[in-house]
Amino acid sequence: MRTLQTRPGFSLKIVALALLAAFGSAHAADDEIAALIRPDSSVSIGAAGVTGAENERSIFGQYNGLRRQDAYLLLDLDVIKRDDATGTWTTLQGRNLGLDTREIRFGQQKQGDWKYSFEYDEMIRRDPRTINTSLVGAGSTAPVVSRLATAGSGSDVNLELKRKNTTIALEKWLSSSLQFEASFRNEDKNGARMFGNGMACPSGSAPSPLCTTGVTQWAQLMLPEPINSSTQQFDAKLNYASDKLMLSGGYYGSFYSNQYQSMAASINGELSNPLGNQMGLPGNGPALGAGLRGMLQNPIALPPDSQAHQFYLTGNYAFTPTTKANFKYAYTHAAQTDNFSVFGGAPGGRSDLGAKVDTSLYQLGLTSRPISKLSLLANVRYEDRNDKTPIAYYNVEGNPATTAFTNGNYSPKRLNGKLEGTYQLPDGYRATLGFNYESLDRGTFVSTNSVAGLSGLRQKSEETGYRMELRRSMSETLTGAIGYSSSHRSGSAWLKPLSLSCTGLGGLSDAGRGVIVGDPSLTSVTACATFNNGIYGVNSIFPSSMTDRQRDKIKMSADWAATDQLSLQFMAEWGQDNFSSPGTKGLRSSYMGFYGVDAAYALSEDWKLTGYWSRGDQTMHVDHSTGYLAALRNLSDSYGFGVIGKPTSRLQVGGDLLLIDDRDEYKQRGGSTANSTLLSRLGGLPDVTFQQFTLKLFGRYALDKTSAVRMDLIHQQTKLNEWTWGYNGTPFVYSDNSTVTLRPSQSA
Amino acid sequence: MKFLRQLLASCALLGALVGTTAAVAADAPSSPGAKPPAKDLVLKGDAKCTTCHDEADEPKLLHIGKTKHGTVADGRTPSCTNCHGDSDLHTNNPAKLKERPATDRSFGKNSKTPVEARNESCISCHKKDAKRSHWEGSAHQRADVACTSCHQLHTAKDKVADKRTQPEVCFTCHKEQRAQVMKPSHHPVMEGKVACSDCHNSHGSIGPKLVKRDSVVETCYTCHMEKRGPFVHSHEPVNEDCGNCHNPHGTVAESLLKARPPFLCHQCHTPHGGQIAQLRGQLPTQPTINSSGKSGINYTQARGCVNCHTQVHGSNNPSATNPTPQFNLR
Repeated sequence: MRTLQTRPGFSLKIVALALLAAFGSAHAADDEIAALIRPDSSVSIGAAGVTGAENERSIFGQYNGLRRQDAYLLLDLDVIKRDDATGTWTTLQGRNLGLDTREIRFGQQKQGDWKYSFEYDEMIRRDPRTINTSLVGAGSTAPVVSRLATAGSGSDVNLELKRKNTTIALEKWLSSSLQFEASFRNEDKNGARMFGNGMACPSGSAPSPLCTTGVTQWAQLMLPEPINSSTQQFDAKLNYASDKLMLSGGYYGSFYSNQYQSMAASINGELSNPLGNQMGLPGNGPALGAGLRGMLQNPIALPPDSQAHQFYLTGNYAFTPTTKANFKYAYTHAAQTDNFSVFGGAPGGRSDLGAKVDTSLYQLGLTSRPISKLSLLANVRYEDRNDKTPIAYYNVEGNPATTAFTNGNYSPKRLNGKLEGTYQLPDGYRATLGFNYESLDRGTFVSTNSVAGLSGLRQKSEETGYRMELRRSMSETLTGAIGYSSSHRSGSAWLKPLSLSCTGLGGLSDAGRGVIVGDPSLTSVTACATFNNGIYGVNSIFPSSMTDRQRDKIKMSADWAATDQLSLQFMAEWGQDNFSSPGTKGLRSSYMGFYGVDAAYALSEDWKLTGYWSRGDQTMHVDHSTGYLAALRNLSDSYGFGVIGKPTSRLQVGGDLLLIDDRDEYKQRGGSTANSTLLSRLGGLPDVTFQQFTLKLFGRYALDKTSAVRMDLIHQQTKLNEWTWGYNGTPFVYSDNSTVTLRPSQSA
Repeated sequence: MKFLRQLLASCALLGALVGTTAAVAADAPSSPGAKPPAKDLVLKGDAKCTTCHDEADEPKLLHIGKTKHGTVADGRTPSCTNCHGDSDLHTNNPAKLKERPATDRSFGKNSKTPVEARNESCISCHKKDAKRSHWEGSAHQRADVACTSCHQLHTAKDKVADKRTQPEVCFTCHKEQRAQVMKPSHHPVMEGKVACSDCHNSHGSIGPKLVKRDSVVETCYTCHMEKRGPFVHSHEPVNEDCGNCHNPHGTVAESLLKARPPFLCHQCHTPHGGQIAQLRGQLPTQPTINSSGKSGINYTQARGCVNCHTQVHGSNNPSATNPTPQFNLR
């Protein structure tokens, strides 16, 4: 705010009024003020052109709706009216109306009384990668696979996923302290995304004699997942507010409905062998076995319909002006009873999963300032999930059957607590000390549930931590903070999946596990499978979300208004996690660092400059059980420069330059002599690099008080050098010779 | 400027002498010598302030009239002094200081008003809003974030209320997220289709990281409900926290994954075999027609482990026969 310079007799307001008195109508002054205080409406119409081929702008056009065509209509509108006599607002807003990311919203409200709105919103994601395939019906529930003679000779398929949202909301103040709010949102989602299947035959999951060729065969297929689903969310609540109490109670329902329950591919003819040659031809091994063909054609489940109903009560209460509480209780009943009819082989007596999960959530927080210099916070949160889904034998392994597996039952209880105090010290210092606690009790596992590729499970993990922060306002123009936090996670003894043998690790327990009980109808089920013995050895990997972890973090920041024109922000952050488990493999440690500086400089009232640089540096050390030891590093630099100014009273110009330089490094050592030799011959995995240069310029010229022309120029260059879908000119090829590509160097 | 000002003033005085209009006549004091009553420009009782801070002084201040706060017909809307305090020292400047004392409560970036006092100006009215029920004790409240650090009141377009400009406000502090949203795999934040506030309630929530709903998974399910299940074969980390595998702000790896498979999956899973990550075209020895499908290539390239374990979020396939779906294969 600028303070008025007082000079008796020379107030600009008097000047203005006097001038009007002499030369104009008083209405002119009213009009001027009205223009300053009445809501504005605007319409913006224009055209956009995009250069380059479609695959040259696939990253640029991933979400913005500017990929498919070269020219677009740009149309935005804001119609905002207020009836000043009643305080009633009417708004109509449109965004991107000429694009397939359009949004339109209409609303009315009498402020402090009632409100309603309708909103329609489209969002599109165009996968930046292109599939080259002979697949017929890509993105349908019944795609037909036939092998391309050569990779790259098929048709290009570009996948996209479109969301269409409709939202209706209303509010009504029933009295000065009672308000009703309700909203309904429907989203239709259509399109396809990358998906597929793969199978080796024979394998643990597909043992002989299912596999009919007598030799190992395998195949992998790119089968886009068809998506045609809708979600509905309904929220209704009653809010009560008095001087001390705010209370909100309501219902939140969420419903997911999928038009497709499953998809199944048909395979015409042959697929490729591991060399990429057609199976069944002389020298190329046997033809695609009926067993593997059948497995690849099996139905693949798509997401099932589900629903959840939540009732909640939340709010806060002020005991005194300096001591307050907030709280929430929520009860949620979730269910999934999508019928199994499209699948074969469901367990006897089960026509659907019959999933029922009841969750109760409790939260209580207290804040207090017992003395002016001391602030205290205490918070506790407890979540109790109770999975009531019936257990049934959904899988039988081996032929004849040797092992039966059931679905799981996941009923975790999570407790979080926090205690924190902040004290105002002399000389502008402020110190904070806080303690955190978290426990996650996953409950007793269902002994008959097979957990894929896991060596051990932990019933309970607990984490305790503290944080310290010192903050100081060093002057009116300089503030700074430094914080340190540390936490340690440990837990109960590890439990092994009972179906697996224990080979060489101590400190493990079967406590809390039941005994495998075979399905009475499967007389040959035995208590312990043997095919996975090695999985529970000294080279085991224990899930990183359950292992012991020591986490330390330091964070520093400073804001400095160096001069009236120049302001600077500095920040630096370092963190380290160290993991430990009964074995020595899996995620062992991780490190993160983040540094940055932002600057803003006002050249004048009309011209401003901004700039920033930041660097993120993260490393994870992951040890594969027997294959490799990896140090995965991501190093990312970002730069931004901006300028905005008004060369004349009518002209405004501006520009932004953004640069990103990102590199993923995959340093590896062989986990065995053989792999060390292999790795040295391979040369390891190359770095994945991503660089992007974006320049945005705009100019806006005011034709008169109510209209202006604007021109925007956006230029983006992107380089993504990845090996995910190909390396050094050699594409990754699916078994039907489908390939996926992304133009590594793009410009739009 | 001084000359121009004096010239304008002279013209004004001249105009006042020679010109009379109906409007001026209407505003004229009813009795000679009486001080004309102060007239509000925008808000009820704002004359105390707008006598000086008028359209000629700082026209942008009057833009509050374009906002909900400027809807005078709503009896709850404030006047200047409700937020800035009575500010008599500022108004009267009894010490005749060259630079007037600041208002009782000021909100600019060099404000000396404690953040708590600044925020009280807003909370005293907005405490009735259920979405702000958990402001006290929230991360932003504890970090001394002022309401006006994010919100602009004297403008028709509050940047943080428009999803196209909101990220620019949030990135003032959240620099790491600013860098992440520009990576190739990201939510359309910079494209203006997803706002920070679609996932976070900056005014406080009971979930971690101020997520909008009660937990990370419940927040993600609002748009990705197909991942919710429950499934016949669940992947428990999905139920615990999507953040176990995904960085929602952006990654170079596809699908917002924190690391590419197989390295991501190997943080929990003991994989089959002792393969080392390999690329097609990089092999020192070519595969044979009998090479295993569980190769270093097949779990490294394309979708990695997910090439076969395609149902990574869970499968509702009830088939009880081989090949078994419990490894999330189909």
